[in-house]
Amino acid sequence: MTAQRQLKLGAILHGVGSSTSLWRHPDMPADASVNIDLYKQWVKKAEAGKFDFVFIADGLYITENSIPHFLNRFEPLTILSALAAVSSNIGLVGTVSTSYSEPFNIARQFGSLDMISGGRAGWNVVTTPLEGTALNFGGRAHPEHDKRYEIATEYLEVVRGLWDSWEDDAFVRNKETGQFFDPAKLHTLNHQGTYFSVKGPLNIARSRQGHPVIFQAGSSNVGRDFAAKQADAVFTGHETLQEAVAFYEDVKQRAVSFGRKREDVLIFPGIGPIIGRTREEAERKYEEVVNLVSVEEALKYLGRFFEHHDFSQYDVDAPFPDVGDLGRNSFQFGTDRIKANAREKGLTLRQVALSVATPRPGFLGTPEEVADRVQEWFEAGAADGFIISSVVPRGLEDFVELVVPILQRRGLFREEYAHDTLRENLGLKIPVNRYAAGKVTGRV
Amino acid sequence: MGNQRKLKLGAILHGVGGGSLWRHPDMPADASVSLAYYKHQAQKAEAGKFDFVFVADGLYITEKSIPHFLNRFEPITILSALGAVTNHIGLIGTLSTSYSEPFTVARQFSSIDHISKGRAGWNVVTSPLEGSALNFGGKPHPSHPDRYRIAEEFLEVVKGLWDSWEDDAFVRDKASGVFFDPNKLHRLNHKGEFFSVQGPLNIARSKQGQPVVFQAGSSDSGRSLAAKTADAVFTGPESLEEAKEFYRDVKQRTARNGRNPAHTLIFPGISVIIGRTQAEAEEKYHQVAQLVTIEYALDHLGRFFEHHDFSQYPLDEPFPDLGNLGQNSFRSTTDKIKQRAKAENLTLREVALQAATPRSPFIGTPEQVADQLVQWFEEEAADGFIVGGATPDSFDLFVEQVVPILQARGVFRTEYESDTLRGNLGIPIPENRYTSKKHAGIIPT
Repeated sequence: MTAQRQLKLGAILHGVGSSTSLWRHPDMPADASVNIDLYKQWVKKAEAGKFDFVFIADGLYITENSIPHFLNRFEPLTILSALAAVSSNIGLVGTVSTSYSEPFNIARQFGSLDMISGGRAGWNVVTTPLEGTALNFGGRAHPEHDKRYEIATEYLEVVRGLWDSWEDDAFVRNKETGQFFDPAKLHTLNHQGTYFSVKGPLNIARSRQGHPVIFQAGSSNVGRDFAAKQADAVFTGHETLQEAVAFYEDVKQRAVSFGRKREDVLIFPGIGPIIGRTREEAERKYEEVVNLVSVEEALKYLGRFFEHHDFSQYDVDAPFPDVGDLGRNSFQFGTDRIKANAREKGLTLRQVALSVATPRPGFLGTPEEVADRVQEWFEAGAADGFIISSVVPRGLEDFVELVVPILQRRGLFREEYAHDTLRENLGLKIPVNRYAAGKVTGRV
Repeated sequence: MGNQRKLKLGAILHGVGGGSLWRHPDMPADASVSLAYYKHQAQKAEAGKFDFVFVADGLYITEKSIPHFLNRFEPITILSALGAVTNHIGLIGTLSTSYSEPFTVARQFSSIDHISKGRAGWNVVTSPLEGSALNFGGKPHPSHPDRYRIAEEFLEVVKGLWDSWEDDAFVRDKASGVFFDPNKLHRLNHKGEFFSVQGPLNIARSKQGQPVVFQAGSSDSGRSLAAKTADAVFTGPESLEEAKEFYRDVKQRTARNGRNPAHTLIFPGISVIIGRTQAEAEEKYHQVAQLVTIEYALDHLGRFFEHHDFSQYPLDEPFPDLGNLGQNSFRSTTDKIKQRAKAENLTLREVALQAATPRSPFIGTPEQVADQLVQWFEEEAADGFIVGGATPDSFDLFVEQVVPILQARGVFRTEYESDTLRGNLGIPIPENRYTSKKHAGIIPT
């Protein structure tokens, strides 16, 4: 009898959240983004919930208009290393850009996090979309989209090569003979490529999981190819089950076309569930966050979909105004929906603006309803697992306390960790050192 | 009577340590990559009321590098981990200005500062080993003077980025919806000879304002940079006289730069061996010295001279003439080695073995070691010491037996005065430069 396929879960730890206004909620600590005690609590909660990993996103450029979390937050490698010291089984995945760092330094820092955590590190490889970033790193022109992926491909090649500098049994440490290591098992990479020239060797060995797990998040055509070729796991975001299934199939098939197996690359849609003990409680929690956004902000946000139309000229408590064809030239699908919805439900401008600023999540309801939807997506081939974001205060706690036990009861999710490395918990193979047995195995 | 000057102590965390210490029966041979080992040492140092732990670093290895260098934690990550399991002790790590981006460095040290609630410190180095360049694009490694000019500008950028947010910029008023005051956010807009960085930094200042800046070069350029920019300076003197000369010189340079010499602390690094008797301490030293093979000693020596292969020379002949070799890497160390070899007519074997197992003056009973420390402190050779154990048991013994003597003599704290590194070191929190400019009417509020 084959074991039931198991769901994987990650938690994004994201301070005051990804909205402009969650920090205003009475139950959200407004300094969450730089609150170490809170981050420690969260990692322990996620570990109590048997999550596969926690995840830290990142960005390298801000302005006055950036969201609160982005203005002042922990840097990923440091916070993950701190969390490594207060956890033992949960994975620690962080975002670092290949556009503004050196492969030797990144190979080292992730290798070190992997060593500190006993094999639980993961690297979300991004290429940095924001043009402004270049201004913080020398002012050279920010590379355009496709070139960024070329650079990232070579960058990953270098990092993986450096991680293999020491074969797994290189360190002999024989006190009697005085032999610390076997020189035949130390390998100097000598990489000379288009974008990077790196000699090596790396001054840290592989951990128990071989290499940190590689995550990726691009959804463009080039991004999907990159993920299908290079990544162990892929983050994504979709509104409908249909879109999610299409993405899943597309990436899995691309992976196969590159000579990999479907199970070698895991797909993780991101979801922001709102859970209440009753349906009413869930709806109330949603309303609370909707109302945190100021009307001015919401009108400005709405305006962006309608060619930056100035909605502040209208009475906010009158019915949604007739703007004719405005919006059809930019976000046509979205603006048609907004207009139709407003008409059908008789919504005021205020109501429309606030609901657009804080869209209603698909995963909203009682614990059973949310678990049902998670199971539906999992079994329909839309996901190998989910990354859970907290879009309400205590979002992570709610999921761990109310939904995880249901998933466990249904046999869909682990009740105990079977392993203490991220790769093994995710069901991924430990990569063979490319130099082992004199064979260069490498990846596709 | 003013506040009595008090001794400061740091602990170097260096895994299996130097030489062939890894071979000692009581040393875990994988210490350099053991979180448990590092945690034990950090927590021991904290129990001993040490001001900080310190992690050194390097960016290039070959087969000849010492065991600790071959496979060790990277400083930023291990210090972050230790920050999560300690409460009062400072966390200082080495990072090079030659192979990193100022924006990233500013961020990472500031993040450690937040994780630890104000205990981070950065030991600024410029990467002595030429080979490092080969790991970072292969452009030629900058010459000694250039590396220091780069470091100076790098530091300017980092300190400027650290001040991006004034200390009261984050209003976080839920009722009014005001998260921050835009007049208290500042863009650095740095355009210099080596770096162009706009900012702002996406992390604010911590409880201690900015991470503490350490510096360690002993050459003229190194001392000069330290006197301009450092809160504390490491050194590796071989004798009390040398230490006093360095102390005097750096303090004077600091004063000439218009800074308060009392706020630039000098820390010699020392290696200790503690025994119940002098004889026992000597025996422990010999046990460690005997672990070293001549092959190891030659490799170790070679590292200071661009990984020069010393095995090509006869061992029992005078130390060979190497010309300028060594001047572009560990200049002060290699100059000293050459000078002493000539002055004392040493053979290659003698120079190598001495370099591999240096004989520290801090070998003896707890009282003897405490006496030495107090003497150096009172004679102004040191404001504090970075302590490393030369045998597996010596660091623990130092905390358990030497620290209580220093405390009894009133030269070292019995409790932490503060929970920040600056607070315990007794150095002031730098005012945010933009706040200062506002007070001076140079920029609008």
